[in-house]
Amino acid sequence: MRLARAVLSARAVRTAETATDRVAAIHRCADVLEEIGAVAPGYRQEMLARERVMSTYLGEGVAIPHGLDTSRRLVRRDALAVLRFPDGVDWGNGRVTVCVAIAARGDGHIELLAALAEILLDPPRARALRSCGSAWDVVQMINRAVVAGYDR
Amino acid sequence: MIRTVAVGARAGLHARAAARIAGAAGALPTPVTVRVPGRSPVPADSVLSLLTLGAVHGARLTLEADGEGAAEALDELAALLATDPELATDPELATDPELATDPDRGA
Repeated sequence: MRLARAVLSARAVRTAETATDRVAAIHRCADVLEEIGAVAPGYRQEMLARERVMSTYLGEGVAIPHGLDTSRRLVRRDALAVLRFPDGVDWGNGRVTVCVAIAARGDGHIELLAALAEILLDPPRARALRSCGSAWDVVQMINRAVVAGYDR
Repeated sequence: MIRTVAVGARAGLHARAAARIAGAAGALPTPVTVRVPGRSPVPADSVLSLLTLGAVHGARLTLEADGEGAAEALDELAALLATDPELATDPELATDPELATDPDRGA
């Protein structure tokens, strides 16, 4: 059991992003993580490096850009950013309409992923995340799923 | 037939670790399920389903399979789950210059 804490705030959600390719999309993800004070500037290059090692495409139109295991010194606090790309971005092994960018120092990453996977396996919630939900809906949905995971 | 294994990945069963398990499970002739105590079993060949387990380093997972080839299938997945993918000799990781030159890796 862990103390529930909000991992996603409304200012870390962007619903109308555009990117010509996945490198551009990852740069936007890094921009937002920097803006909310979650990561140091160097984290951007680590996110790009992670993506080169292996695609962070997760399925259901969602990718989860994040750093390498060695990037934790660049993470100032655990946080998520959600960026929606309505026109889609070619991710090589899938077309991405939502990036859930992750800044995490430890096992918190695993809890966030479990919450996100629960959402993606539930079609109405997956749809709300990808397309119809407002920034506030997305915040509520993800934070609720994370808290539900803590209580499990 | 069941097999119990502790998650060997230091960072827990994260997305890459789960993709490695799901890929191996998908190539097996026998379906395998994975569960953690108190929760329903999930298919081992689904990355998203594996991630819902929220399995941190050392978490005990129960693998289950039946029929012909079940023992071999369980052996293979249990061995993969018990190792840390960051330390495994994955050709993709081994040949990546970014990682090969990283002094912090594999410590």
